[in-house]
Amino acid sequence: MLECQHLALARGGQRIIEDLSLSLRDGEVLAVLGPNGAGKSTLLAALCGELAPLGGSVQLAGRALSAWPASERAQRLAVLPQQSSLSFAFSVDEVVGMGRLPHASGQQRDAAIVHEALQAADAAHLRGRNYLELSGGERQRVHLARVLAQLWPGAAGQVLLLDEPTSMLDPLHQHVTLNAVRRFSAAGAAVMVILHDLNLAARFADRILLLHQGRAQALGTPHEVLTEANVLQVFELPVILSQHPELGCPWVIPR
Amino acid sequence: MKPLLSRRLAFVLLGVLLLLALWLSLSVGPVAMDVATLLRALAATLGMPLQAPEQAQLIVAQIRLPRTLLGLAAGGVLALCGVAMQGLFRNPLADPGLIGVSSGAALGAALMIVLGASLGGLAPAWSPYLLSLSAFAGGLLVTALVYRLGRRQGRVDVATMLLAGVALAALAGAMIGLLQYLADDATLRTLTFWNLGSLNGASYARLWPLLLVAALLLWRLPRWAQGLNALLLGESEARHLGVDIEQLKRQLILLTALGVGAAVAACGMIGFVGLMVPHLMRLLLGPDHRSLIPASMLAGASLLLLADVLARVLIAPAELPIGVVTALLGAPFFLYLLIKGRAHA
Amino acid sequence: MRRKGLALRCVAAVLLSQACLSGGAIAADMRLISAGGAVSEWLVALGAADKVVAVDSTSRHPAFLTQLPNVGYQRSLSAEGILALHPDALIGTEEMGPPPVLKQLDGAGVALHRLSAEASLAAVQANLRKLGDVLNAPEQAAQRYRAFYHELTQVTAALQPIAQAKPRVLLLLSHAGGNPMVAGRESAGDWLINLAGGRNVATHQGYQAMTSEALLALAPEVIVVTDRALQGDEARRALLQQQPALAVTPAAQAQRLPFLDPTLLVGGVSPRVPAAVAQLAQAFYPALKLPSSLLAGHAP
Repeated sequence: MLECQHLALARGGQRIIEDLSLSLRDGEVLAVLGPNGAGKSTLLAALCGELAPLGGSVQLAGRALSAWPASERAQRLAVLPQQSSLSFAFSVDEVVGMGRLPHASGQQRDAAIVHEALQAADAAHLRGRNYLELSGGERQRVHLARVLAQLWPGAAGQVLLLDEPTSMLDPLHQHVTLNAVRRFSAAGAAVMVILHDLNLAARFADRILLLHQGRAQALGTPHEVLTEANVLQVFELPVILSQHPELGCPWVIPR
Repeated sequence: MKPLLSRRLAFVLLGVLLLLALWLSLSVGPVAMDVATLLRALAATLGMPLQAPEQAQLIVAQIRLPRTLLGLAAGGVLALCGVAMQGLFRNPLADPGLIGVSSGAALGAALMIVLGASLGGLAPAWSPYLLSLSAFAGGLLVTALVYRLGRRQGRVDVATMLLAGVALAALAGAMIGLLQYLADDATLRTLTFWNLGSLNGASYARLWPLLLVAALLLWRLPRWAQGLNALLLGESEARHLGVDIEQLKRQLILLTALGVGAAVAACGMIGFVGLMVPHLMRLLLGPDHRSLIPASMLAGASLLLLADVLARVLIAPAELPIGVVTALLGAPFFLYLLIKGRAHA
Repeated sequence: MRRKGLALRCVAAVLLSQACLSGGAIAADMRLISAGGAVSEWLVALGAADKVVAVDSTSRHPAFLTQLPNVGYQRSLSAEGILALHPDALIGTEEMGPPPVLKQLDGAGVALHRLSAEASLAAVQANLRKLGDVLNAPEQAAQRYRAFYHELTQVTAALQPIAQAKPRVLLLLSHAGGNPMVAGRESAGDWLINLAGGRNVATHQGYQAMTSEALLALAPEVIVVTDRALQGDEARRALLQQQPALAVTPAAQAQRLPFLDPTLLVGGVSPRVPAAVAQLAQAFYPALKLPSSLLAGHAP
């Protein structure tokens, strides 16, 4: 469980997040929505300890994030950044295997986990390939497998933070990926995922945080948060709100 | 990329290569020596109750063995420092020179060579050690400065450090230029030769510091193999994987400064080993530092020993500076790889 | 290659033993390595050319020395390379090195002799005394020094009665006419200029580059031309071509540009110095009458 209280964040002297309180609950997927510059990535940076807060606190399992020893923290908290700058010719297995770095679970167990995590991210067929020869989408799935392997098999008390994991994926793999994330959270981990697609968030998130100019415009279930008024105010986009004909979740259609 | 060879086969080959290089380094020289004499002399040197002709004994014990050990240690250390820097800068073409240690050492040596004469009071017997010390201190000092300049809010900013390294290298170059201007002809030549490096005149007294540093690197660096792998993902990714990357960066910089400083102090500037060996080993075995570190050490030691064998026999009874040989061997091979790589892409 | 060197050495030995003045008892089977241009010249002058088994890269005179095995630059000698030649002694100047190699050679029983590379008469005397001891021919060495001293004093004595003011002289050391370095105080060039009765107008220490303007301002009446790449007229032409400003100096306008062999400027005083000084003195004072044998460098 990851919790922040009255968080205030700044980058380069500019205030980005004001007085934000949030808790990521075990077994729950929280989607963060908001226009460009709303502070989504800044929030994620503070939640994973990359950015020291100006005010407020961040606690992982009841203990200040900064008080955790690095490797113990890595056993509980995994982060998938928006983009990776890896430019060395590792094999896919080796990249995913790096997720096992915080654990001393032994080579055999690690190899099995790498395989399972790759399967979960629908990337098992990439095993043995050179990472540098993969497409952007394939790389994104390999990194997803890496952070899944870091927390595998997923348990209560663990936290997974994902920054736009679907940005480079085709529609099929957007769904495959978010399904994998949902399944993973079902094992107990708390997941926060930054998304741009309102309908993906509506479909896969248990709760949604809608950020507007550094403040929480709304925080609640998709039905509570995705209202025409909220979307208009935050995104300045007039929409019609409908319902998914089979799943019943909100369905946002731009006017 | 699939490594060219299996890990096991690669290490067997590298081990054989090193043994071959060691054997050549001990057996080849301007003084011809048959195998039996060489073995007896070696055995006697190692304290076994065997006798060899006095001159053979002396050449093996006082000239070839220290020289071989120096080449072994310097080659291994330079290659390991190359691994450390290419990991730190996440760039396969990074070179230990980037953190200022080489230019600092060159400046330290130039200061001692050019101005040392005016320290007339010091006994001449001390001067070779003073030169080594001055080079070592220069390397550490400039690296410390680069490190200070690269720190931002308690963290080492690698990009800033890179720029600081370039700027300080230019500054050191200018100061060396000034010293060269002040130097007389003979001093200039000494400086030139020092800049080309040599294992000539190796002695046990000058060997120990480098062997100690080599041992330190061998002990510390493999512990960071996984951390270096993670660092290649990116600094924040490595941090999220539980790697203490500030400590990692500090240690990489310190170990490289010590390693290159000690190697340069013992045998002058030797280029190309630190750049080329890790690069080659990555082609051979892939980028995983768990293999890359030991492989680079073996290959670096072998390469420097073989280059030194060439340096001493090509124009015997004189000898070539070893930096010339490593560059002559290294540069064309590197170009070949570049061109081949481009054809592939 | 080795045999050729040996043959040459024999020829030189025969020639030189004829030139020898007194029959010294130089040990017959001594093997010497000379690491220094002037050292090699003195060894040859003392009739020990056949004892020299190798030289360093600064030993260019006499020319047959360059056929011998070369042990490299005097400051970066190689221990094993030298030991492979089984020398009894290594003779060089205080410039030879590196020190660890010298230590190894000393440990291997090679006698090391360091001569002075200073440009002074006292150094020549001390060096010859040392060489006399090494070659076990002290009398011969002493005699050679007296001859050297006599030749030099012939020049200085001839200069004595001249009342005319000393000519303003500059010595330029260049490479194919480029980057001329000017010989200043305490350089070998300065010593030669003074011996030949000139006044060196450069006042800095050692060798330094100077702008053309500064050279003009010194208004040299004689410019001594030395060039590492070219000889004689070619060197003069190249220098004036590369440094056109020099053409307006009094020296260039009067065509007073004597050439000096650059090997005379490094590594100590060579036996060719008296002849060179005589030639310079002749160039400084055209009216001077010096014996032609002295100018030609084979005085009796």
